[in-house]
Amino acid sequence: MNNYSIKISILSTLFIVLILTGLQSMSLADEGKTIDDQTKEISYLLMCPVCQGQSVGESNSNLAHDMRDIVRKQLEQGKSKEEILAYFVNSYGESILASPPPKGINWLLWLLPGVGIITGGIIITLFLFKAQRDDKNEDSQEIKTQPKMDNEYLNRIEEELKDNDS
Amino acid sequence: MKIFSASGKIFVLIIILGLVGLMGYAIFGNRVNVKTSPLIGKQAPDFTLRTFDGQELNLSDLKGKTILLNFWASWCMPCRQEAGALESSWQRYKDKDVVFVGVNVWDENSNAQRYMSQFGGGYPHGLDPNEEIQIDYGVGGVPETFFIDSSGNVRDKFTGPLTEQIIDYFVLKTQQPQENES
Repeated sequence: MNNYSIKISILSTLFIVLILTGLQSMSLADEGKTIDDQTKEISYLLMCPVCQGQSVGESNSNLAHDMRDIVRKQLEQGKSKEEILAYFVNSYGESILASPPPKGINWLLWLLPGVGIITGGIIITLFLFKAQRDDKNEDSQEIKTQPKMDNEYLNRIEEELKDNDS
Repeated sequence: MKIFSASGKIFVLIIILGLVGLMGYAIFGNRVNVKTSPLIGKQAPDFTLRTFDGQELNLSDLKGKTILLNFWASWCMPCRQEAGALESSWQRYKDKDVVFVGVNVWDENSNAQRYMSQFGGGYPHGLDPNEEIQIDYGVGGVPETFFIDSSGNVRDKFTGPLTEQIIDYFVLKTQQPQENES
């Protein structure tokens, strides 16, 4: 097995592991959640309006406590996660969400990191392949020129030896 | 050793220009149409307020009047600062179909009562014990004031201490017919 095949095998394995991990977490996400679990999950998707950089789930402020109660009440009323988040967005705006919703110019925030990683990966890969190819070319040029140089050197030695003998 | 070919250089240049464009949009982009609250232009969330004198006040009962809805707390210094302006403005507007309502938030009942006797003025104030009104209105600090028109639509939100001039500006603006907001 050459180097290229080994690289392809490693990349394919990593890709499959990532997909399987993603699928597993998605299937676990929807199973057997209590109201407490759902309240906690939604609370971490909301930022506390009176705290510095803390989610409603993390904050001990009175407002965060009351917001958690409202989340719980609305879950008990049968509202979905999306409906509850929409209620808070309607009052506080999108800044209440811990992560920006993927729409409009917000798409850039979601896509740019991935595009950056992929582009960076492509550039690094191209750079490495190019460096490897240039090294190979230099090696082959050295191999081609080596016998010629050796011959010239040997001829010169022989000529000098002859001169010494004579 | 050459890292980028000619097409590679163009690709990198496009990425750099794109990033510069994004930074430009972030710095110089249009901020004129940014609203101070997502509720502006929408129907004001209804609530029932238990006032300090034991009455019940429903927002829906005030339809047809211009409403100044002020959120305050006894520990809040800017609230004390604006209390005089609120009282004197209320005296001027109380017979002109303008209603002032105070909502006490994040407070101890005894502290709120003490504040009321000192700064409360003549218009109704009430408690929001479960902070439901406050969350419905997306209040993130005190003082915050909402201006609601006679149709029950939120027209403006002001954050910070009010003065009589600010109150006049927003009350008169709220009394004007609503422009179509796109």
